[in-house]
Amino acid sequence: MGPADVDGVTPRELVEPASAEEVAAVLASASRERRSVVMRGGGTKLGWGRKPSAIDVILSTRRLNEVVAHEHADLTATMQAGARLDEVNRVLARHGQWLPIESAFDEATIGGVVATNDSGPLRHRYGTPRDLLIGIRLALTDGRLIKAGGNVVKNVAGYDVGRLISGSHGSLAAIVSATFKLSPLPAASETLVATFARADAVVAALSNFASSQLEPAAVELRVGPAVAGPYDSRAHVGAGCSRPYRLLLKFESTPAAVDTYIDRARALLKPDGSDVVSSQSELDLWREHIQAPWRSPGMVVRFAWLPASIGAVLAFVDELRNTVSDVELIGRAALGSGVLRVDADARVQRSVIEGLRSRSDAFHHVVVLRADAAVKEQLDVWGPLGDAGALGASVKRALDPKGILNAGRGPV
Amino acid sequence: MNTTTRGADPLGSAFIAELRRIVGDTGMVTEPLELLTYECDGLPHLRHTPPAVVLPSSAEQVQAVVRLCHRHDVPFVARGHGSGLSGGALPIPGGLLIGLARLNRVLDVDIPNRRVTVEPGVTNLEITRQVAPHGFYYAPDPSSQQVCSIGGNVAENSGGAHCLKYGFTVHHVLAVEAVLSNGDLVHLDSAIADAPGPDLLGVLIGSEGTLAIVTKVTVKILRRPEAVQTLLAAYDSISAAGTAVSEIIAAGIIPAAVEIMDGVSLIAVEAAVHPNFPPAEAILIVELDGPVAEVYEQFAQVEAICHRAGATVVEVARDEAQRARIWKGRKGAFASMGRVTPNYYVQDGVVPRTKLPEVLDRIRQLEARCGLRIGNVFHAGDGNLHPLICYDERIPGQSDLAAKVGAEILEYCIDAGGSLTGEHGIGADKADYMPKMFSDDDLDVMLTVRRAFDPKGLCNPGKVFPTPRLCGEVPGPYHAHPLEKAGLAERF
Repeated sequence: MGPADVDGVTPRELVEPASAEEVAAVLASASRERRSVVMRGGGTKLGWGRKPSAIDVILSTRRLNEVVAHEHADLTATMQAGARLDEVNRVLARHGQWLPIESAFDEATIGGVVATNDSGPLRHRYGTPRDLLIGIRLALTDGRLIKAGGNVVKNVAGYDVGRLISGSHGSLAAIVSATFKLSPLPAASETLVATFARADAVVAALSNFASSQLEPAAVELRVGPAVAGPYDSRAHVGAGCSRPYRLLLKFESTPAAVDTYIDRARALLKPDGSDVVSSQSELDLWREHIQAPWRSPGMVVRFAWLPASIGAVLAFVDELRNTVSDVELIGRAALGSGVLRVDADARVQRSVIEGLRSRSDAFHHVVVLRADAAVKEQLDVWGPLGDAGALGASVKRALDPKGILNAGRGPV
Repeated sequence: MNTTTRGADPLGSAFIAELRRIVGDTGMVTEPLELLTYECDGLPHLRHTPPAVVLPSSAEQVQAVVRLCHRHDVPFVARGHGSGLSGGALPIPGGLLIGLARLNRVLDVDIPNRRVTVEPGVTNLEITRQVAPHGFYYAPDPSSQQVCSIGGNVAENSGGAHCLKYGFTVHHVLAVEAVLSNGDLVHLDSAIADAPGPDLLGVLIGSEGTLAIVTKVTVKILRRPEAVQTLLAAYDSISAAGTAVSEIIAAGIIPAAVEIMDGVSLIAVEAAVHPNFPPAEAILIVELDGPVAEVYEQFAQVEAICHRAGATVVEVARDEAQRARIWKGRKGAFASMGRVTPNYYVQDGVVPRTKLPEVLDRIRQLEARCGLRIGNVFHAGDGNLHPLICYDERIPGQSDLAAKVGAEILEYCIDAGGSLTGEHGIGADKADYMPKMFSDDDLDVMLTVRRAFDPKGLCNPGKVFPTPRLCGEVPGPYHAHPLEKAGLAERF
């Protein structure tokens, strides 16, 4: 089976090394021959980045899929880059632990989530993959295998090269394996689904939340069409645009504590409607929520804002909703980060991106994750990188002097 | 490098004049006696008197100074408040020392967005002071937090007693403005989340001043937890205290802090700060924080675990005063060692938490073999050891022996799969030990990254990475400066 296309470009070759040494050897020879290499884990985020002009090699980590070690008493684990996140968490659950990283994609791998630093709603409590990474092993373009960090959760010896690599989208080095600090699985979890009819009520609710001492694991904002999910039969949630705004607060703690927090959160947020979801329904709810932007058609754009500027975000989305029928916003309300899905033609897609980027007073880091090929060719999916861009380019030249990794696709 | 013109002026008089033009007379230190203030940081046994110190008062002045250094190939060392414990701010021969104490403005306190932006000379605790009236605090809490600068915290990726739950400086810094070695200003990340691309900020934090000079720092602040509960449990052995820690972790509880102090350190703190701890071979301190319901439920579990592990006494802090007393005993540990020994050497190493018993056992054997007492105070939750090696410098050979013992303990940490440093940094002190933890290739990649930031290698050279030591320099405990020995100067 040949490799799948990336933005309509057919890669010339697929290689699937079975060892770290082989990964390094592939990079060394590609570097010598100046062949461009795109890293592939589960292939779930392969389209993120600029449209490539050509791809010589897809370097897949599919065969590097072991959980190398789970030191449960130390709350750490090491896995190979190609290990699937869901498989890893199945293994870790045997000792009541997990790597608290979520992905919208079932096939997502450890290497892929570190390379993209992609995360989900639980980022509110646990941070992004780079916050959990304590050690890394990399294959460099010159064929060397190196490590940084270590196996201990506290360590300041040497540069944190693992963090540097996180978010580089396979453009600096190939991740071979990674070591993380883990978390215990929570004893109990419940989610409050709060619905609102008006944007200003959402702003007020989040303002009340910001000054409270509640410590939820996730604080999600969702604006958009009715949810086809496990709880849409409940009359007061989901269906109907009379209450198009939803806040989802997930609490993880001891069973008694969780119940207390749900009651307090409801009193604080003063929603027009609410529901409490637990057990399997809660798992289903979050799965639907995380996957939603990717299950439906349209452009997906990630952007960020100062949390207190949520009013500007809602105003932008509501204005868009007046002209485009299928618009959805899903975001980390307390962190000021989210994705906007807009199902419309290329002209509208482009105008939405430009609209967001023109509002630099309120919105930053507007990155196009999925869009029509035509749109991706007309603008830079990464947006301006500021004065850090030149420094990133300098690091890129130092680690990948021939420029073979993720060539032209960015972000560096 | 610039040629030496006179002994007191190795940077050259023209260079000094240029510096003076940038920072003014009040921003220059060239008097030999005043320069002594800057000859070392919190690691006093490594010293070098800098040829000159500049004290810029703005990012623009830092840029101008660095540009001048770049033009003349003069290396430089940035210094915050000089409380570092690994010689990161140790002046270098022929290099300029850039003191950042005057960049001490709080620029923005943004409570609704939970962010504070400060200049690097602002102290760690000042950030908490600024936001405390609103019910917020800045989480990383190194023991030196009253005096250490946030710029130094960024350089060292400082931790503290509460980093088991809350992480290190890198988890709390959102953005920095920094001056690169060519004088260019860069903004890494922003107060707004999700700047795309590799984590340049993440590699800058903890780079110990070898990549750039930070001139502005934006940190996130946290809401004060609703409840804090602290207990102290006394044990007949360190291993019993360690068992309690293992069971707490196994129960799925992540305390805000878990600390263990051994018999030697307990004698010292009793003598010095009188925390009135119960008699014990080991004291375990556990602190939980968070929302009331969770803290109280889990705290009852922790209490039961502590008893089950054989605690002779469990004392629960009933109020803030009792809690403060417990922490006074713990945080006073290093300073109290003077009560039991004329001199001591603090080591900082890390092992996987489960290897603590094995490594502590090796340290006990080493203690018996070498004849020096070794106290132990450690962050038990994350395996961060702080052995306190007691010695008497008046006895010939003991200070060198203490240094050897410290190095051997680091070997044990590396053997156990740990690290050379958990929070004090590599600096000048442990640079030569780096090959014990990293291969030549590992180190070479770090140096490659360094060259991408600083092609000329002007930012704090000689730190972090191994270089041949200077003639006569010995790693290890403090040796009194000749001026001190002669009674002509003293250290503060």
